[in-house]
Amino acid sequence: MSTTDFPLLTLLIFLPLLGALATGFFGNKERARTIAVSFAVIELLLSLLAFHWFNPDDGQFQLLEHHLWIPGLNVEYLLGIDGISVLFLPMSAFVTLMVIVASWNSVQHLEPFHYALLLALEGITIGVFTALDMVLFFLFWELTLPPIFFLIGLWGVDPHRRIAAVKYTLFMLFGGAALLVAIVMLAINAAAPADGVGTQLVFSLPTLLEKPLPDDLQGTVFLLLLLAFAVKTPLIPFHTWMPTATMESSPQIAALLTGLKLGAYGIIRFTMPLAPSAAVEYSWILGVLGAITLIYGALIALYQTNLRRLLAYSSVSHVGLVIVGIASLNMQGIQGAIFQLLNFTIVASSLMLIAGFIQHRLGSTETVHLGGLAKVMPKLTCFYFLFVLASIGVPGTSGFPAELLLIISALVAHPSLGIAALAAAVLGAAYMLDFTRKAFFGPIIHQTVQQLQDLRRRELLLLCVPALLVLVFGFFPNLILHTNEKAADAWLSRILEQPVKSDEVAGIGSLE
Amino acid sequence: MDALVVLIPLMPFLASAIIGIGHQFGAIKGEASETFTALTATWAISMSSLLALALLGADLLQRNNGTFDVALWLDSDTLKIDIGFITAGFSVKLSALFAVLLMVITRFSINYMHREVGFHRFFFILSLFSSAILMLVLSRNALGTFVGWEIAGLCSYLLISYAYNRPVAVANATQVFVTNRIGDAGFILGIGLSYAWVESLNWSDINAAATDLSKGEATAIALCFTVAALAKSAQLPFSPWLARAMEGPTPSSAAFYGAVMIHAGVFLIITLAPLISHTPLVMALLIFSGTTTALYSYFIGLTQTDVKSSLVFATSGQLGLMFLECGLGFWQLASWHLCAHAVVRCYLVLTAPSLMFNVRDNPIKPVAPMLANKRWLFVASLQRFWVEQITDWALVKPVRHLARDLSYFDDNIVDRLMGIPAPAINAASSLAQLEERALGAKLDADSGNSGKTFVVGLGLVSALTNRIAGLVHWFEDRLVLQGVSKDALHFGRKMGHLANKFETLVLRPRYLVLLVFITLLVAF
Repeated sequence: MSTTDFPLLTLLIFLPLLGALATGFFGNKERARTIAVSFAVIELLLSLLAFHWFNPDDGQFQLLEHHLWIPGLNVEYLLGIDGISVLFLPMSAFVTLMVIVASWNSVQHLEPFHYALLLALEGITIGVFTALDMVLFFLFWELTLPPIFFLIGLWGVDPHRRIAAVKYTLFMLFGGAALLVAIVMLAINAAAPADGVGTQLVFSLPTLLEKPLPDDLQGTVFLLLLLAFAVKTPLIPFHTWMPTATMESSPQIAALLTGLKLGAYGIIRFTMPLAPSAAVEYSWILGVLGAITLIYGALIALYQTNLRRLLAYSSVSHVGLVIVGIASLNMQGIQGAIFQLLNFTIVASSLMLIAGFIQHRLGSTETVHLGGLAKVMPKLTCFYFLFVLASIGVPGTSGFPAELLLIISALVAHPSLGIAALAAAVLGAAYMLDFTRKAFFGPIIHQTVQQLQDLRRRELLLLCVPALLVLVFGFFPNLILHTNEKAADAWLSRILEQPVKSDEVAGIGSLE
Repeated sequence: MDALVVLIPLMPFLASAIIGIGHQFGAIKGEASETFTALTATWAISMSSLLALALLGADLLQRNNGTFDVALWLDSDTLKIDIGFITAGFSVKLSALFAVLLMVITRFSINYMHREVGFHRFFFILSLFSSAILMLVLSRNALGTFVGWEIAGLCSYLLISYAYNRPVAVANATQVFVTNRIGDAGFILGIGLSYAWVESLNWSDINAAATDLSKGEATAIALCFTVAALAKSAQLPFSPWLARAMEGPTPSSAAFYGAVMIHAGVFLIITLAPLISHTPLVMALLIFSGTTTALYSYFIGLTQTDVKSSLVFATSGQLGLMFLECGLGFWQLASWHLCAHAVVRCYLVLTAPSLMFNVRDNPIKPVAPMLANKRWLFVASLQRFWVEQITDWALVKPVRHLARDLSYFDDNIVDRLMGIPAPAINAASSLAQLEERALGAKLDADSGNSGKTFVVGLGLVSALTNRIAGLVHWFEDRLVLQGVSKDALHFGRKMGHLANKFETLVLRPRYLVLLVFITLLVAF
């Protein structure tokens, strides 16, 4: 079978969009639901097929699809995946499927539109992960906003949902502006002819990677790209949309928002390799920013009384650790970062869905309304606890190898950042278990809690899959590490083996 | 014979997996399944003990190779971590002892836990713990030991909070886990430094590198592991967690804090003996911590009036002596002490409930005169030397307050700087407003604010622009047009107040300490 000619990635992007149209056309909610689930399942299988076709021994982009899109501007329709992005495809498809199944009964109005938006968002997200042309990427990047805007605004659970939706969109537009400026700067720079002829703009990522920026532009482009992705990641101080959005939107959407790690992916894919010498030069700033985010998020999480808000801040904290790993510029760092992103995609979205199950039953995830859940919902508590353990990074769960790699990478590169990461590991256990103590253990105080029903069969099966994944990746971390080994190696050498000014190289060397 | 070692931790792990999965999906529940659970757990740990004894026999006959590697667990660049086991020496002896003790405890628990609500949960955790502790003892590299270390700590958490509807039990469990987590951070730091400087995580390589490392590096690595050991074995300043850990059912107390887990710290120190004997500083620390803990436990133990507390302080006192022996370099003595203490303490804790029965109606002995005559010492002993209060005051409270301050900062300053302050103010009414808007009644339009809010509040850029415009306007209006007037003086005074407020805030101890800490980190 020829694997290179079949446009699998295009199919992956447009199949959910087609599904969105199909669900939108059927006013009947039952049928819309069935169609949405079938499309999501097919999408998941296709993304697994993409993973199967992917060759982990090759560090370059694969499954490339190349067409000219806007000839005047030299904008291409260029798709491809490598070891860094390949696992994000099945993860996105999987999280979307989980969200659709979790929305089964909790979405009560405009169901077809809800499922259509979810599917559309899935396709666009896959587009973000596969686009290799800057303009195409930017298009997908900005296209994620309308579905999320409506998903937060129309099906949110709190009165401020519309304000939250506006807030989210404005934050992201702000980041998008920086991204656009950076893209234009890169394109114009690459177009500037060395011999005076040919002024074709360049938007294709593989070509841009071959053309190093002049040193005076590197810093600006790096900071612009960092700013663009820092908003979405989110890094401090651009994180405030996250708690608002998770509190106002419905928990399923919050699971998508915390689960899809587009921002950190952007930093890995674009910020670091496109301005390599600036990345090396400013890696310590990035590391410090990550460490601050890490500790800051963890400390605030210690003070939260609402599960959804707590998860938002714990997500901020975990992303901080990922940034520390990226900034340490070694193999453990980048591999650990990708591992942690995948791990947290599973863990954060599953925890958020569990919060959703509680919200759906009780109408609140605030500690004062909970207490003693373990007694009435032992199965839910058991799953919750497993994901909490993965979030803390206890051995046997997928959080452990990820955190281990990140902490070791930080210790090797910048020891003080490693110590900060360790402090955050202690705080992580403190805030997670403290909340567990207040909400799940202790005596039952409220009559409403007494009458709760434990997980239904659909919910139980839904949670089994991520629980299994958490354990499998915890026991066999090499499954993930081997898929991105070559790509991470290529990524790292592209950054470190640039013709950098010699004193900067010496500076990095001395940090060993 | 070497390959047998894999099965020793694996058997109880499989048992725990069977019980856990069966219980979660409802296949094992209630009194009817008690026999199945009990048999599974007992058989598994019995098989482990037999295997461990067989391994020990083979080791004594010198049939073992010394190590056995199973597979590669994780590799990233030069970091390669195997699942490997030790099949000779002290580890094997200790594993045999622990396996036998755990078998006794498991058998004991069957009758003890009969008809308890959490019967299956208890055996799930106990089996998992057995597996973890055998992994800890037998692992060839630091990471395998850490895995066992951490899982054992987790099981300890789960068993302390066994009666999870009692708030005290769960609060204690959380505190114990978080305290231990500090030690675990030391362990991870040790692993990281070993990788950075020794480029291997095998205990044998770390020990062998002791002579090659510089003094500072060797001390740093040894120190990290020592902190982990002190935390796990409840030495000062971590001691108070042990007394809090006695909430669980008696057999679990026997397994964790009498016979097995509490000795893990001493085991770690003995494993690292060659490295630690090269680092006088760490030896001194061991002597200091061991001696103070022994004295501390002795004086507190004198005033305890319940069985479990007395046992707790007797245990930590004995462990203090073991650390002292290690610090003085009597490694052989420490290992014998460890084994003997494990057996004796296991018996004492298991018989504690029946002791209550045996000694009923006996009058309680008066406190020793040595203590009764010195009132301050008596009070100090009763209050357990305020160790817990001091750590609470010095460590936990500042962190909590910092969390509170940051949370305020995030909600009130960062959020306002970045986003929309408006909704926080009209929070209560906005649902009504929303519905009014849906009805088409634009009630908030006549307040004159609705058109303006977008410009005033939304987004960083517009807020900034607005502020700058306001500032320029103020400057123009007050300073340029009217000259320095009363208003400027007023403004100056306001600024002075603000600066003052900032000063007092920054000078609070927690911020000072934080500042010092950050400076130290940067310098490091």
